[in-house]
Amino acid sequence: MKQKNFNYRMLLFLLLFPCIAFAQNTISGKVSTDNGDPVAFANVIQKGTSNGTTTDFDGTYSIDVATLPVTLEFSSLGYTTVEQSVSAEGTVDVTMQESAQALDEVIVTGLGTSIKRSNAANAVSSVTAEELVGTTGQTTVDGALYGKVTGVNITASSGAPGGGFALRLRGISSINGNNQPLIIVDGVYINNVEIPSGLRFASGANRANEENGANRLADLDPNDIEDIEILKGSSAAAIYGQRGNAGVIIITTKRGKRGKTKINFSQDVGVNKIANRLGMRPWTAQSVEDVFGAAEREKFEAVLATNGQLYDYEDIIYGETGFINETRISATGGGEKTKFYVGGGFRDEEGIIKNTGFDRFSMRANIDHKISNTFDLTSTSNYVRSNASRSFTGNENEGGLSYGYTLAFTRPWNNLFPDAQGNYPNNPTFAGNSLFVRDRAKNEDTNNRFIQGLTLNTKILTTDTNRVKLIVSGGADILSNQTYVYVPETHQSQQGTLNPGFIAEGNNNFTQLNTQVIGVWDHDAMGGDLGLTTQAGMTYLYQDVNNLLSIGQGLLANQTSIDNSAAQSFNQFLSREKDFGMFGQVEGNYKDQFIATIGYRLDKSTRNGDPNEFYGFPKASLAVNLANMNFWNLEAINQFKVRGAYGETGNPAQFGSTFTSYTSTTAGDGPVGQTLAGLKGDPDIQPETASELEFGVDLGFLDSRINLEATYYNKQVDDLILTRALPGSSGFTQERTNLADLENKGIELAISADVVKSENFTWNTRVQWYKNQSEVTRLDVPAFAQPGAGFGTGLGTFFIEEGKPVTQLVGNIDGVLTQVGDVEPDFQMAWSNNITIFKQWDISFLWQLKEGGENLNLSRFLTDLGQVSPDLETQAGQDRLASPTNALRFVEPAGYLRLREAALYYRVPSKLVENIFGGTVEGVKLGASGRNLFTETDYSSYDPETSVNGGAGLSSGIEVTPFPSATQVYFHLNVNF
Amino acid sequence: MKNLYRKITLFGMAAATMLAVSCSFEEQVDPNGPSVDGVASEASIGQLNELVVGVEASFRNGLAIETTASGTLGRELYLFDADPRNTGDLLGKNGIGLDNNSFYSTGQWNGSYRCVKNANLLIEAASNTSAVTASEQNGYTGFAKTVIAYELIQMVKSYGQARVDVADEENLGPILDETAALAAIRTLLDEANSELGNASIVFNLSEGFEGFDDAGSMREFNRAVAAMAAVYAGDGSGALSALNNSYFSLNGDLTVGPKHAFGAGGNDAQNGVFKVPSPAGGDTNIGDNIIVHPDWVNDAEAGDARVAAKSAPTPDPTASLDGLFAEFETRLYDSPLSPVDILRNEELVLIYAEANILAGNTGNAVAGINRIRNSAGLSNYTGGNSTAELTTELLNQRRYSLWGENHRMYDLRRYGLTNTLPANEPRPGDQIFDRLPVPLAEEN
Repeated sequence: MKQKNFNYRMLLFLLLFPCIAFAQNTISGKVSTDNGDPVAFANVIQKGTSNGTTTDFDGTYSIDVATLPVTLEFSSLGYTTVEQSVSAEGTVDVTMQESAQALDEVIVTGLGTSIKRSNAANAVSSVTAEELVGTTGQTTVDGALYGKVTGVNITASSGAPGGGFALRLRGISSINGNNQPLIIVDGVYINNVEIPSGLRFASGANRANEENGANRLADLDPNDIEDIEILKGSSAAAIYGQRGNAGVIIITTKRGKRGKTKINFSQDVGVNKIANRLGMRPWTAQSVEDVFGAAEREKFEAVLATNGQLYDYEDIIYGETGFINETRISATGGGEKTKFYVGGGFRDEEGIIKNTGFDRFSMRANIDHKISNTFDLTSTSNYVRSNASRSFTGNENEGGLSYGYTLAFTRPWNNLFPDAQGNYPNNPTFAGNSLFVRDRAKNEDTNNRFIQGLTLNTKILTTDTNRVKLIVSGGADILSNQTYVYVPETHQSQQGTLNPGFIAEGNNNFTQLNTQVIGVWDHDAMGGDLGLTTQAGMTYLYQDVNNLLSIGQGLLANQTSIDNSAAQSFNQFLSREKDFGMFGQVEGNYKDQFIATIGYRLDKSTRNGDPNEFYGFPKASLAVNLANMNFWNLEAINQFKVRGAYGETGNPAQFGSTFTSYTSTTAGDGPVGQTLAGLKGDPDIQPETASELEFGVDLGFLDSRINLEATYYNKQVDDLILTRALPGSSGFTQERTNLADLENKGIELAISADVVKSENFTWNTRVQWYKNQSEVTRLDVPAFAQPGAGFGTGLGTFFIEEGKPVTQLVGNIDGVLTQVGDVEPDFQMAWSNNITIFKQWDISFLWQLKEGGENLNLSRFLTDLGQVSPDLETQAGQDRLASPTNALRFVEPAGYLRLREAALYYRVPSKLVENIFGGTVEGVKLGASGRNLFTETDYSSYDPETSVNGGAGLSSGIEVTPFPSATQVYFHLNVNF
Repeated sequence: MKNLYRKITLFGMAAATMLAVSCSFEEQVDPNGPSVDGVASEASIGQLNELVVGVEASFRNGLAIETTASGTLGRELYLFDADPRNTGDLLGKNGIGLDNNSFYSTGQWNGSYRCVKNANLLIEAASNTSAVTASEQNGYTGFAKTVIAYELIQMVKSYGQARVDVADEENLGPILDETAALAAIRTLLDEANSELGNASIVFNLSEGFEGFDDAGSMREFNRAVAAMAAVYAGDGSGALSALNNSYFSLNGDLTVGPKHAFGAGGNDAQNGVFKVPSPAGGDTNIGDNIIVHPDWVNDAEAGDARVAAKSAPTPDPTASLDGLFAEFETRLYDSPLSPVDILRNEELVLIYAEANILAGNTGNAVAGINRIRNSAGLSNYTGGNSTAELTTELLNQRRYSLWGENHRMYDLRRYGLTNTLPANEPRPGDQIFDRLPVPLAEEN
C-alpha cells in the first residue's frame, strides 16, 4: 500500500500535478526579547524541515505542522536561536536573547541547502547589508567590501567614478584565466566583465586592459543587497566545481517580509574630492634654465610676470569637486502567500575631473509566492541602466590623451587655455592639450542590463523522518553595453595624420544563462539524533559574447558620425561557452556535535581541449562542536568548534585557448589575406585545478559576547594555465598551456566583541588580520616574464619563476635579473567599530591597514623624464634622476593605513517623529559619513592601490598615470513610512 | 523504507543520465579566424594566395622600430615619443644597458619572424596540395624563400646573429653567428633562385611589387638580395655576379625596386617611420617625432642635396626632451602611406661600389661612388684610391643615401667603426651599443 501510494505521487509529480495533503495542527504565539520587546521578522521553523514562517511586526507568529510533537526553531539575526518542543496545538510564547555575533545565522554551503554558521566547517565570511552600506555611501559592491572580509585582497585599478576593481580571495588562483570570483546573485550567475572601449586605437595603449574600463559588477546596486556570503577557497566552493577556483561570492538581495507594507526613503548627497595631491615642482628661474635652457627660462618668467603664478595643472585637471546624489525608495511587505520587495534607486556621481562621472538607475522586484504547501516560487528581477564617462587616464603611446601622461611632460608655464574664439593652443612639449581633451574628447559607456532569477521549490515528499524536495532554478543576465570614444580632428596628435579625428562605437552584447535542478532529501536517523541531508543535481551554463567595435577616422569638422568618416574599420570578437556539471553531496549532523559532509562534482566545458571530458571535484569536511558535548562544563566558553575541510575546484582555460588561427590582413589596400595570429593554442588544454585544505577553530565566550575565528589554509593550484612568450623565431609570440603549479598558504584571524553593552552606551568592535603567501612550486619551462603584466624586465615585470612568489616583481639590474619587490602584502588588517550612545547616536568607523607589498611606480618614470616630479629641487630627487632607469629605481613600498569609512548618525526619537509627522512616518535617521578620509603611506603617487592593466590576471601594483583616487563625504537622510 | 531509498536513488540517477546524455557538446571551432590546420594540406589556390598576402603584409612588421632603434644606436636619429626608453635605454643613459625583454629588442625580432613563419606556412601549404602545378608551386616557394632570406639578413644586421632553421616551431635550430647565418641565407637564396627559374606566378602582390611580379623580375629581386648578402659576407665577386642578374643599373633610375606598400584600411598598416612635421613658425613637435641627429646634418659635405631632402630644421631648435635638443626633424617620407623601399637601385649601386672595392676593381668602385655623389648634387670623388680610403668614402655615401633605413649601425659594426661614435654625448653617461640583444624569450 505504502509503495503504491509513493509511486502514485511520483507519477503525479512528473505530470506536474502535485497532490499532497496532511493533517494540520496550528501553533501560534509571540516572540519577545528578555525585556519584553517583540522580535519582529524572526524565523520560525519546524526543526529539520523547510516548513516555516516569520514573526510579524508585533512578534506574533502562526505555523501549521503536520504532526505533533514537533521541535520549533526560533532564529533571528543578532539573537541566540531557541529550540522549543511543542506537543500540543495552541499558544507557545518564546523569549530570545541577544547575541554578540550572529552565530546562528544561516550560511550557504551547497547549491540547495544551507547550514548554521555554528556548524560550518569552513570560514565563510558574511557581510550584512548594515556592514556593506550602513556606514557610508558606496558606488559599487566590490568597493564596499574593503576591510570587511578576511582573506580578500581588493585593488582599485582606477579612481574613476564607477569603479574598476580586482577582487582576489586567498591569493592569485589563476594567472591568465579568470581569477575573479564567481558571483551569484539570487541564483543568477553574474557577468563581471571589464569591457574595452577601443580607445587604445586612438591613444596607442598597448592592450585593451590598459583602457581602464570598469568591471560590470558596478551595475549591481549595493543598497539592494541583504547579505553577501563569501566562499573563499576550494574547500568551501568545491560544489561549484570548475567555476569555483577563485572562490564564490553569493549575494542575496532584499526579500519581502510578512506584515504591514513598509516604505523606506533615503537621500544621500555628497562630494568627491581628490584624496592626495602631489604638488608642483618648486621651480626657480635658475632651475628652469639649468634643465631646459635660457629660452624656456624666458617663457617661465613671462608667465610669472603676466599671471603672477604658474599653471598648476594638477589642480586644474584633478581639482574639481564632484557632486554625488543618491535617491532610493523601496517598499516591502507581504501576506500569507505572497511577499514582495520592490525598490528603485538613482545614483549620480561626478568625478574629480570635469566631465567625468557615473550614474546608475536600478529597479528591482523580488517576489516570493507560496502556490501551495507543495510549491513555492521565487522571482527576482533587476533592470539597470548605468552610464559612465571615464575620460582618459593610464598608459598610452603618442595619443596625447591620458592626463597624467600628458601632464608629466607639460611644463607649468605652457599655456593650454583656449583663446577668446575657443581655439585651444597646441601643447608645445607633448602630443596633446589636456584641457582640450577634457573639454572636447569623450570616453563614455552605457549599459542596459536585465537580470532575472526564477526558482521553483517542490516538496515531493514530507513524512516524519523524510523530506524530499526538488529545486528548479534558472537565471538570465542580459547585458547590452555601448562604448563611445571621440577624439576631435583638431586634437593635437590627430593633426597631420592621414585621417584626423577618431570615433569608436562599441556594441557589446553578453548573454549569460544558467539553469539548475537539485533534489534534496532530508532524513532523520537514530531517532532524530542524526540529521542527514543528501542532495544531487546538475547545472548548465551558457555564455554568448558578441563585441563589435566600429571605428571611423577622418572626421568632418565637428561631426561624430562614423558613416561620414573617411576611413572605417571594425573589430569583432565572438565567443560562446557552455558548461555542464553534475554533483552530489551528503551531510550528516549528529546532535550539532559532529557535522560531516562529503560531496563530488563532475564538470565539462567547451573551453577545455576535449569539450566532453568530465573532470571530478571531491570535497569532504568535518566540524566538531566540543562545547555541545555532554562533558563540556566551561560556562564561559559557549562555543568551541574545531573544523577541517578539503575540497577541489577547477578553472577551464579562457575562451580560444584551444585554437591556433590566422587573422586577416591586407597589404597596400590590396586583396584580403591571412597572417598568423601569434597565439599558439593547445588543443589538449586541461582545466586548472585547485585543491585546498583548511583548518580552523571558532570560539565563543560569554554567550558569544566575544568571538574568535582562526583559520589556516593551504591551496594548491595544479596545471596552472600560463600564457608565456615563445621564442619569437618560432613565428608565434605566445602559447597558452598547462605549465605550472602554484601554492597559496595563509592565515585568517577575526575577533569580535561587544566591549560595552549598557543601556546608554554600546560598543561593538571587530578586528581582522590575514595574510597570504604564494609560491610557484613547479614550472615546466624556464622562468619567464609574464607577457602583458609589466613593461619588460627593463622597467620591471611580473616574473614566473619556480620557488618564488607569483606576485614578485623582477627587473634587469645591471644585466642581472633581480627580484626587486613583491606586490603581495605581508599582512592586512581591518578594525571596525560601532558605537551607540543614548540609543540615538551611532558612530562607526573602519580602519584598514596593508602592511608591506611593493608597487612599481612608472608614473614617476614619466614625471622624472618630463622634469616635473615634485621632489626634483631636492638632492634626493636629483640623485634619483641620475640613476639608471631600471626597476630598482621605480619600486616603492605600497603599504598604507587608511580610515576607510567613518560615520555619525542620529536616529530621531520615535516620540519626536510622531509629534512632528503624526502616524505617517515611523522613523527618521540623519547622518554624515566619509570614505577614504585619511591615508598614511610612504608611496609617492596618488594611491598605493593601483593597476595599469585593470583587474585581470597579474595586474595590480604597476602604476602608469592612473585616475587619482577620491575622498567622499556624504550627508544622509533616511525615512521609514 | 528500503524501497523508498531505492526509488529516490533510481529517480535521481535516471534524471541525471537523461540530462547528461542530452547534453553532449559539439567540436569547437574558432569563430574569430581561420585555423592554421585548415590550410596545411590541400589548400586551394585562393587560400595560397591569401597566405601570400599575409607574407607581404607581415613583411612590414617591425619596420618602424627596427629603423628607429638601430638609428638611435647608430646616432642617426632620436625618437621622441611617449616611451622614455627611446631616449633612455637606447642611448645608454646614465650607464643603463640594453634590455632583452623590452619593446626595442623584441619588436623587430618577433615581427620579422612572424613574416618568416607565414612564408614557411606558405611553403608547407604549397608543397602539400594538388591544386597547383610544379611550376606554380615553385612560384610560391621561390617568392617565400626570397622573403625569408631578406628578413634573416635584417636579423643579422640588427642582432649580429639569426636563427635560420625555424620551419618547425617545436624544433627550432640553433641561433647562428653572423658568418654561419649569412652562408645559410645565401644557400636559401640560391635555392629560391633556381625555383624561380622554373616558375609561373599565379598570385598577385600589392602595387609595391609593381614590376617585380612575374617569375623573371622576382628572380631579379632574388639576385639583388643575394648581392646584398654577398657583400655582407665579404664576397665581392659573388655580389657582382648576383648584381648582373638583378635589376641593378648603374646609370638607371635609382628609385627602382620593390617597396613596402601601406594602406589606410583597418587591417592594413601605415608607414610608422613617417612623422607629422612641426608646423612652420609653431612649436617643435617633440611629442612624436624623429629628430635627425645633428652630426648627420653637420658632417655633410656642403651642397649634399640628400640633407635637405631628408631633414629640415625645426621651428624651435631649443625644444628638448630628456636633455636632447630637437634641431632637425625627419622629412624622409611625405605621408603615412608613402611606400618604404625594400631594396632600391640606389642601394644596389652602393653594393656595386662596395663589391668592387672588395674585389679590387678600383675604377668601377669609383664609378659607383660618383654615380651616387652626382645624384646628390656633389662633384666626383677626388680622394685616394686605397681600399681604406674608398671604404671610408663608400660608408659616407651610404650614411647619406640610406639615412633612416636601418643601415648605419650595421655598416659601422661590420667595418669595426662603432668606436668612432661619440660616447658621453650629448649627455654625460650615454653609451654606445653596436647591436640589439636577442630577446629573452629565445632562451625558452
